[in-house]
Amino acid sequence: MAGTFGSISTALSGLRYNQVALDVAGNNISNASTDGYVRRRVVGQSVSSAAPALWSRYDGHGEGVAVGEVRRMVDPLLDARVRREHATLTNLQTTQTVLGRVEEGIGEPGENGVYAAMLQFRSAWQDLANNPGSEAARQQVLGRAETLAQALRVQVSNVSNEEADQQVHLDSLVSEVNTAAADLASLNHSILVTEQNGTDAGTLRDRRDQLALRLSELTGATTTVRADGQFDVSVAGSSLVNGNSATTFAIDPAATYGGAVGAVTTLLTTTLPAYRAGLDTVATDLVNAVNGQHALGFDAAGAPGGPFFSFDPALGAKSLQVAITDPALVAASSVTGGARDGANADALSVVGTFTESYQRLVNGFGTQVAAVQRQTANQASLTGSLDDAWEQLAGVNLDEETVNMVTAQRSYQAAARLMTTLDEVLDTLINRTGVVGR
Amino acid sequence: MSIGRVTQRMMTEGSLSNLQQGLSRMARLQEQLSTGRVINRPSDNPTGTTSAMRLRSSLSDQVQFSRNAQDGLGWLTRIDASLDSVTSTVRRARDLALQGANASSSGQVARDAIAVEIDGLRKELISQANTKYLDSPVFGGVTAGAAAYDAGGNYIGIVGDVNRRVADGVVVKVDVDGPTVFGDGATSVFAELDALSTALRAGNQAGISAAVDVLNKRMDTVTAARTAAGTRYQRLDQADQAATDTKMSLQNQLGNVENADLAETTVSLKMQEVAYQAALASTSRVIQPSLLDFLR
Repeated sequence: MAGTFGSISTALSGLRYNQVALDVAGNNISNASTDGYVRRRVVGQSVSSAAPALWSRYDGHGEGVAVGEVRRMVDPLLDARVRREHATLTNLQTTQTVLGRVEEGIGEPGENGVYAAMLQFRSAWQDLANNPGSEAARQQVLGRAETLAQALRVQVSNVSNEEADQQVHLDSLVSEVNTAAADLASLNHSILVTEQNGTDAGTLRDRRDQLALRLSELTGATTTVRADGQFDVSVAGSSLVNGNSATTFAIDPAATYGGAVGAVTTLLTTTLPAYRAGLDTVATDLVNAVNGQHALGFDAAGAPGGPFFSFDPALGAKSLQVAITDPALVAASSVTGGARDGANADALSVVGTFTESYQRLVNGFGTQVAAVQRQTANQASLTGSLDDAWEQLAGVNLDEETVNMVTAQRSYQAAARLMTTLDEVLDTLINRTGVVGR
Repeated sequence: MSIGRVTQRMMTEGSLSNLQQGLSRMARLQEQLSTGRVINRPSDNPTGTTSAMRLRSSLSDQVQFSRNAQDGLGWLTRIDASLDSVTSTVRRARDLALQGANASSSGQVARDAIAVEIDGLRKELISQANTKYLDSPVFGGVTAGAAAYDAGGNYIGIVGDVNRRVADGVVVKVDVDGPTVFGDGATSVFAELDALSTALRAGNQAGISAAVDVLNKRMDTVTAARTAAGTRYQRLDQADQAATDTKMSLQNQLGNVENADLAETTVSLKMQEVAYQAALASTSRVIQPSLLDFLR
């Protein structure tokens, strides 16, 4: 036995250790549903002077327990995977949301879309061919042409509005990236300092992990852990956070990003402009075919047909307008002299391939959206299983904490009992020893 | 997936996300039922969307073809009725001419009376030649004017085809060129009647006999034109029938591609509902218990 009072400190160490164990269990239970909280586990360490000084001999049997560490149950490898898959998921989800919104605006297949307007435009020409002398039939052609032009313009403006929204979205994403990067850099510093003091930086580490995950979701950033425990974050090959300093993030048109920023940049540079260009092609087909055939005919007064649609190729489909306002100027006739002929109107009803090019466009876009939806569903289940793996490791199980709590409670009681026992032993020694005959 | 350690949060979130999935499947079926369509946006079925668009295009074509054919039938009905009266008018003129040829005994007075009637028939014929359908003279080609022949029997229409598109690439001419029936100017039926009238008034037997021959030929011409118009009427009628049939079958196909199978969707919805309720029930059982319920 190491001294008379040695065992009292052993009991004290037990009381202290179990106090810590109760604290940790309590903290785990309180944070059972906190986002990003990683459960802690107290690792006890038995204390003994196992390496005695030279020429001396240790004859004790251990001197109680100490808190070795309060361990955060994380796996850096798993964290890296979670970040990577979350980046992909966010990328797909952002794309899916935006494309879904654009798709709702297309309104195909249905009674009110661009396609329906095209069909009605064609049948209006047929009606005019049946009745070339009728003012009403001429007016109907102009009305339906206007409907068609407007339907195309509305689609273009839907897409353009979405592009403008996404530009704003991108700006807010960039500023979020910068805030998160600055926070992460300052946390790097705080954690380093705190842990050098020997203080538990678990809460700070939880926050830093969350920020690293958020940065990955935003940009597809990769995080590497330095030997001193600081996080270095790089985006698309260039450094964003280096130790305690963060560089300002700005979109580089040449770089390929992941995450939400990657999704929005791809939408802005490729996907949405491609759809708009498709609409421009449809409009060009329409204008070339109709104007070309219209010029071959003659209007009600016998004059050659002028341009039916006005269109600026530089501006695309949004500049599509019906150029004619006077119904008499519709060139329904194929013979001059103001004859009541509908042959050119009939030809106009079948001219051009704009319906086919619109079909192709819608089909292509629908396929793209469907593919993104499938990928998102797959990625969501993959990410879900990784999140489960993370939760298995880092999540709080209340049963387990209850068991830990009860164990700590009982151990505390036992340590207290040890104290009582020692007290009684000492009482025997001090008060009842050598009192024979007193 | 092997589960080493299960936490309460895992179970709550797992249950929540499963419930969400169940709900979203139900919402999808509900959308199909309430819109009555399986394709509500292109991504629901890109290929089906293209088919639906193609079918709608064909459907719109067929509706239009049918309308065009109906309009053409209107023209040809009018023309047929008109040519019918033209035939009887010309026949009557020829009969009168024959009567005039045989009327040498009854003398000039009778021939004059016949000549007056012939003049009346000529007027009637001009008005028949100017028959209109929807404000267009049916024998006037593509003229914008109100008549095909002037009072002198000269053709003032513009020869041109009034066509109706009644099937893909099929156009049918629905008017009859005036000159092929009535002739024009000096060679017209009106000039022939004028000549007959003149011959009757002059008592010119040779002229009257010549007129009988000419009018016989004219009757053949009119009958031939009427037969040709009748053939085209038949073609239009068939085309109309074909367009109507095709329309029906296209509507069926469009329904197959686009519309939800009500019975099937309802059954699926019911199944989803059962699955959802089961998920709710199991969630309520899984989330409740913990060790704390048993420690006293």
